Amino acid sequence: MQWSKKDMEQYIGAKEYVDTVLIPLMPVVLAGNEELVKQAFQGELLNRFSQEVEVQFKGRIYLSPIYTYLASANKISEAERLKTWVDGIKENEPKHIFFFTFDPQWKKHEKNLDGTIIWIPAIQTGDIHSQETKDLLKQQTSQLTELILSYW
Amino acid sequence: MSEKKQQVSRRQFLNYTLTGVGGFMAAGMLTPMIRMAVDPVLQPKKSGDLVAVVEVDKLTTEPQRFDWEIDQVDAWYESKVTKTAWVFIQEDDSILALSPICTHLGCTVSWEGNEEYPNQYYCPCHGGRYYKNGVNVPGLPPPAPLAVYDQDVKDGTLYLGKAISRKGA
Ligand code: FES
Repeated sequence: MQWSKKDMEQYIGAKEYVDTVLIPLMPVVLAGNEELVKQAFQGELLNRFSQEVEVQFKGRIYLSPIYTYLASANKISEAERLKTWVDGIKENEPKHIFFFTFDPQWKKHEKNLDGTIIWIPAIQTGDIHSQETKDLLKQQTSQLTELILSYW
Repeated sequence: MSEKKQQVSRRQFLNYTLTGVGGFMAAGMLTPMIRMAVDPVLQPKKSGDLVAVVEVDKLTTEPQRFDWEIDQVDAWYESKVTKTAWVFIQEDDSILALSPICTHLGCTVSWEGNEEYPNQYYCPCHGGRYYKNGVNVPGLPPPAPLAVYDQDVKDGTLYLGKAISRKGA
């Protein structure tokens, strides 16, 4: 399920079945031409990716709105802010909280977050609509769904 | 193809109308009205359209998964959506194309998705199961059989359309 009226209406009646929350973590940059392009591409990928997983597990996963942060931000304070999301989400008593990210820096803050960081190696650049990217996405999605299944 | 053309002309039509009316505010108020008035005529009937999915001679008596893409138009924008079906040939030689969407809360089911349940579709989310013909195994979360796609066979190709719910069937 995701952050839409329709899904949330279903969610509130089915919380005991939706025991897993996914939070995509997306860094943004605000300037620098090359970086803009690169981060935007990875942002698209992350979004697509989370959507794919949500489709597979719609009835058991709540895909949270994307958590965005400045790529340059201090991770310690960012982790604190993210923790406030986690604390809020925990009111729904999920059993599993996963964070999806291409940003390797999160891994070392995992223990402060009450969830599991799933770091996905990023595709550096490409075209989101190309067959190559689609195939890669498909592969990564199935690895990811396997991983989530192993936690259930 | 013809859909593409209609799309363009619909967009143009709206553009012209909006320009004619002039002013963004007015457009904002009018668009929904125009939509209501002309939509049935201009909107190509996508949901009912059948899309070529696979050649019939590739089908077997074992359910296989096929994916295809459709342009989905909702009230706001058009997007590409991947559709999936489990397709096989039944004992009476007819083709059955099932939607993989679990009727419980909407996860994607797989044929023989769990080794413990051969010959069934399995839902990884809450262990829902369905027999080969898509009927839900009783006593588990799914309340209804898997939906069945509208289908047509033309020149050896299977065309699939909308998934029809079998709730209450
Ligand atoms: S969504 Fe399939 S059993 Fe619950």
